[in-house]
Amino acid sequence: MVQTAKQTIQIEIKRQDPEINNGESYNQVYNVETEDWFTVLDALIKIREEIDGTLSLRCACRASICGSCAMRVNGQAKLVCKTKLSVVEKNNKILVEPLGNMPVISDLATDFKPFWDKFNAVDPYMKPEGEVPDGEYLAPNDDMVHLVGVMNCIMCGACVSDCTVLEVKDNFLGPAALAKSYRFIADPRDGSQIERLQNLEKDGGIWDCTRCMQCVEVCPKDVDPMERIMSLRSKSIENKIDKNYGARHAKAFTDLIKSNGILNEILLILKTKGLFNIIELAKLLPIAIGAQLAGKRPPFLSHSSKNKNQIKKIFKKLENK
Amino acid sequence: MYEHDILIVGAGLAGLRAALESIEAGKNTAVLSKVHPVRSHSCAAQGGINAALTDRGDDWKDHAFSTIKGSDYLADQEAVEIMCKEAGENLIELEHMGVIFSRDEEGRLGTRRFGGQSVARTFFVGAITGSAMLHVLYEQTVKKQAQVYEEWFVTKLIIEDGECRGVIAMDIHSGKLEIIKAKSVILATGGAGRIFEPSTNALICTGDGLALAYDAGASLMDMEMIQYHPTGLAGNGILLSEGARGEGAYLLNSNGERFMEDYAPEYLELASRDVVSRSEQTEINEGRGIDGCVLLDCRHLGKSLIEEKLGYLQEVATEFRGIDLTEQPIPVKPTMHYIMGGIKTDFMGQTDVPGLFAAGECANVSVHGGNRLGANSLLDTIVFGRRSARAAIDYSSQINSISRSKEELNNETKRIQNIINKTNGERTSTLRNEMGEAMTLGLGVFRDTRSIEIAKQKILNLIDRYKNTSIDNKGKIFNTDLIFNLELKYMLDVALTMCVGAENRKESRGAHYRTDITERDDKNWLKHTHVAKIDGEVQFYTSDVNITKWKPEIRKY
Amino acid sequence: MKFAFFPGCVSRGACPELYTSTVKISEILGIELDEKALEAASCTGAGVLQEKNQLLGDTLNARNIALAEKQNLPILTICSTCQGVMSQAEYRLEDEEYRAQINETLAEEGLEYTGKTPTRHILWIIVEEIGEKKFKSLVKRQLDGLKLAPFYGCYLVRPSKALKFYEKPERETCLEDLTEWVGATVVDFPGKTACCGFPIVTINEKASLKMVGNHTSTAKDLGADAMVTPCPLCHLNLDQYQDRAAWMMEREIDLPIIHVPQLVGLALGLDPEELKINKHVISTKKLLTEISLKP
Repeated sequence: MVQTAKQTIQIEIKRQDPEINNGESYNQVYNVETEDWFTVLDALIKIREEIDGTLSLRCACRASICGSCAMRVNGQAKLVCKTKLSVVEKNNKILVEPLGNMPVISDLATDFKPFWDKFNAVDPYMKPEGEVPDGEYLAPNDDMVHLVGVMNCIMCGACVSDCTVLEVKDNFLGPAALAKSYRFIADPRDGSQIERLQNLEKDGGIWDCTRCMQCVEVCPKDVDPMERIMSLRSKSIENKIDKNYGARHAKAFTDLIKSNGILNEILLILKTKGLFNIIELAKLLPIAIGAQLAGKRPPFLSHSSKNKNQIKKIFKKLENK
Repeated sequence: MYEHDILIVGAGLAGLRAALESIEAGKNTAVLSKVHPVRSHSCAAQGGINAALTDRGDDWKDHAFSTIKGSDYLADQEAVEIMCKEAGENLIELEHMGVIFSRDEEGRLGTRRFGGQSVARTFFVGAITGSAMLHVLYEQTVKKQAQVYEEWFVTKLIIEDGECRGVIAMDIHSGKLEIIKAKSVILATGGAGRIFEPSTNALICTGDGLALAYDAGASLMDMEMIQYHPTGLAGNGILLSEGARGEGAYLLNSNGERFMEDYAPEYLELASRDVVSRSEQTEINEGRGIDGCVLLDCRHLGKSLIEEKLGYLQEVATEFRGIDLTEQPIPVKPTMHYIMGGIKTDFMGQTDVPGLFAAGECANVSVHGGNRLGANSLLDTIVFGRRSARAAIDYSSQINSISRSKEELNNETKRIQNIINKTNGERTSTLRNEMGEAMTLGLGVFRDTRSIEIAKQKILNLIDRYKNTSIDNKGKIFNTDLIFNLELKYMLDVALTMCVGAENRKESRGAHYRTDITERDDKNWLKHTHVAKIDGEVQFYTSDVNITKWKPEIRKY
Repeated sequence: MKFAFFPGCVSRGACPELYTSTVKISEILGIELDEKALEAASCTGAGVLQEKNQLLGDTLNARNIALAEKQNLPILTICSTCQGVMSQAEYRLEDEEYRAQINETLAEEGLEYTGKTPTRHILWIIVEEIGEKKFKSLVKRQLDGLKLAPFYGCYLVRPSKALKFYEKPERETCLEDLTEWVGATVVDFPGKTACCGFPIVTINEKASLKMVGNHTSTAKDLGADAMVTPCPLCHLNLDQYQDRAAWMMEREIDLPIIHVPQLVGLALGLDPEELKINKHVISTKKLLTEISLKP
């Protein structure tokens, strides 16, 4: 490699060792001389090889295909083998921490067991139906090409690390496992679509996603896990696996816009929970009262769009596409 | 508890395929890997897997011939026949497991052209074939609830009465050493690319299985056959798949010429890899390179094809070089990539040591001889992964007792602790860097007696200095510092066998090209080279190549 | 500066104080809001519609933008969610084929989407168009001593590609910049770009409340007097559900949440009543006394 400009970068690493101080975490700062083409991984390897061999981290391919080296840089999960130091350093400093939402084994090496348990929970293998052909199953190339997008997932854990739902609800299956589930549901050769969708309707499944797009933002392979979860939601609704609040909410929302062009929050809640769902509605009463007392008076009769008929037309045209 | 019929070391394609076969046969099976299975280097294979499907008029004999010619006639022809005959069936099996191979307009498996093949018989998934296959095999092991010793590192094979009876391995999470007893052991530990610098290989490709087998008395065969891939990125050595050339990309020199027209008028960019790498190196050496590289030009392939079929290449080019393949050619150079050499096995994966089997890159059946064709490695791993499992199943059915000596575990624990306790020694990385540089210079695309000798002396010096290396990490938990030090020893041992093989093979064949002995010498050297440790001494000997149908000819592309 | 005003559903529903304060500050900032241009517009879908049918959602948003284009006006939004959804639609509509497909439907109403003027949130307009110098010259009331925690709302910060952060890097810190321009101090906290939990509040209330509780309590413990947000949906969750979240966490939080136009309005010298700051569930009385204003 042509040697170019050298620069000293201050790398602060959140470390943790069960054999030191009962595993309490501490931050250690290293000053590393780097070249301008360095990735964060290059710098970490330099620390490990030349400065401090006690630093634990996982890395293998250096080519963004094995998924070993995901960790948080300046608070956001990244695959450090493809993260250029020059892009993330601020005033010649970076902060490196282990992935979130996972227990730490040592320094930057986290325990992926919860990750793999959730992966296993979605039956992550083909379940073909019917007679097995002598040759290959026939399948349209477009379907296979579409699946390459999901198959690009290298199980690095970045999405799971930064998922905002996993921070507050640890039985959520999470973006990686759900994207994997999509891979099978969208494969024309898999015969268990309905069964899989039914399993995903349960607690911890697709309806727990809060659509915060963290997984989309941090995925180093453009797998777009949230998009996959949304596709699973619409497939569920299409297949009438829709007796949960999430699906009801989506359907209610759609119906309200179809009829009025604009949303009415009160009707939305009533339609989601159900007009006669006294218990659930009663739970919401204090919130409604609080709002009223604050002086917020949302109109009961909603505004509507001036040209709501045109909107309805568009719905009729596209709603079954 | 730690007792199995079959223990497989390595969880890449060969290892996992062997595991599935063994579990299917109802055997008590376990896989052991120093990384999680999906991190295995098989994931980095990009281009595709070869197979001659008879139902579309392809002929396995043609595939076999291409492979044997590609090997520069060093491959054992019966082994090649087996691989090419079984390819179709293995491929369909993979597809049934769920691999998302690319399709043609009729929905049937689609192909692309690849190096050294006369017709397009390479089946692929975009530019992530290895990863796609590895993930599917892993999914199948989940389905079969396979037992995996995840992040365990083997420090020694257990050999008793000349037979392999298990391993001693460390659980990297706790640092504890255990004996894992097994009636048979299959090594599927992959290659040894980190002996060289740069290399396309992952940091974990350190020749562990090769060194363990060698230490146990198995011979390593044709170790001088080291493949330099024509299109590695300059600098970090990351691989750009042959698939690009398979789809039609060109190689250009500094004059913008497609120089392969001079070296391989018929096959051009898709000649065998050793021919292409030597051509590139010649262009560079004769002043027609650019900063020590040639150019890979994909522009004429068009955005849509690149996105659909070469997506991962585009990712690598943009992320690591800031180059958009649709707009610019990208500098590449021959980069160490694969070892055709390996642990000598028979056609069922049995090594010289009874009870010890090997498959995949670490093994040498030999199907690749002096040079491997692209997309044949993925095939090799699957076919011989399966076969070695079958051999191990048969073998282990005949074994009644498993032994163990606690003493062996105690000795090994002491040995490892001594390494941890050492202080004030040289750093592991210092020796590793010196080794990488020396081996790349000494056993490069072009080598000669002197360069090989210099490399060998360096390796001997490093083996001596290794005894006085020390590590920073004195702890037990996730001590990767220790692992690197142990891997260094493995690499040094394997590097020595490469030098011994190279100095002894006095001809040029396949990837072993000596500028002082440029001709192929079938009369004296149509042989396999072997390096083995016999009674503690490094011994060299040769054996015959198995020839069935194809008489060796002059190799032209 | 004239814009087609897209108030969104919530500012005309459960957060009317947002609408009022927007109109008030626009006058002073020299932003002309044309409300008629988008009378026939629809809800953006808020991502919920898109999860059921993305093509439908993109068509509706393309239509909204096309209605504004017909008047030669760019759209101004006041909700992170509206903005994010529209930016994502604009991003997908960069594909020629997709655009042509959607324009076929719009043609039936005599509309065409060209994407010539991207939609922008009023926060971006203040930071990008009005800029620091001009804005500071309009500030009549320095909010020194006020410690504010920024809460962007997911849709205004992700996905960064669709929001064109690479072209406009100032968008990444716009809320913090604005806070400094009004003289206040930014209380940085890890959750500032996290999720408020609103999308799952009717589906999984417990998880939603935990999010509310975590972010508001962390900001409070770091010394924030209030939290400011450019999204009324975030406001709804962080404000209306805060008491419930506090009860679940078994602690007090009591962190007032204010809208961006309200913060701007206070700095521009407007009265709290005009900005309807007294119309929140979590009381802003203490906050206003901090800046020596009668609540």
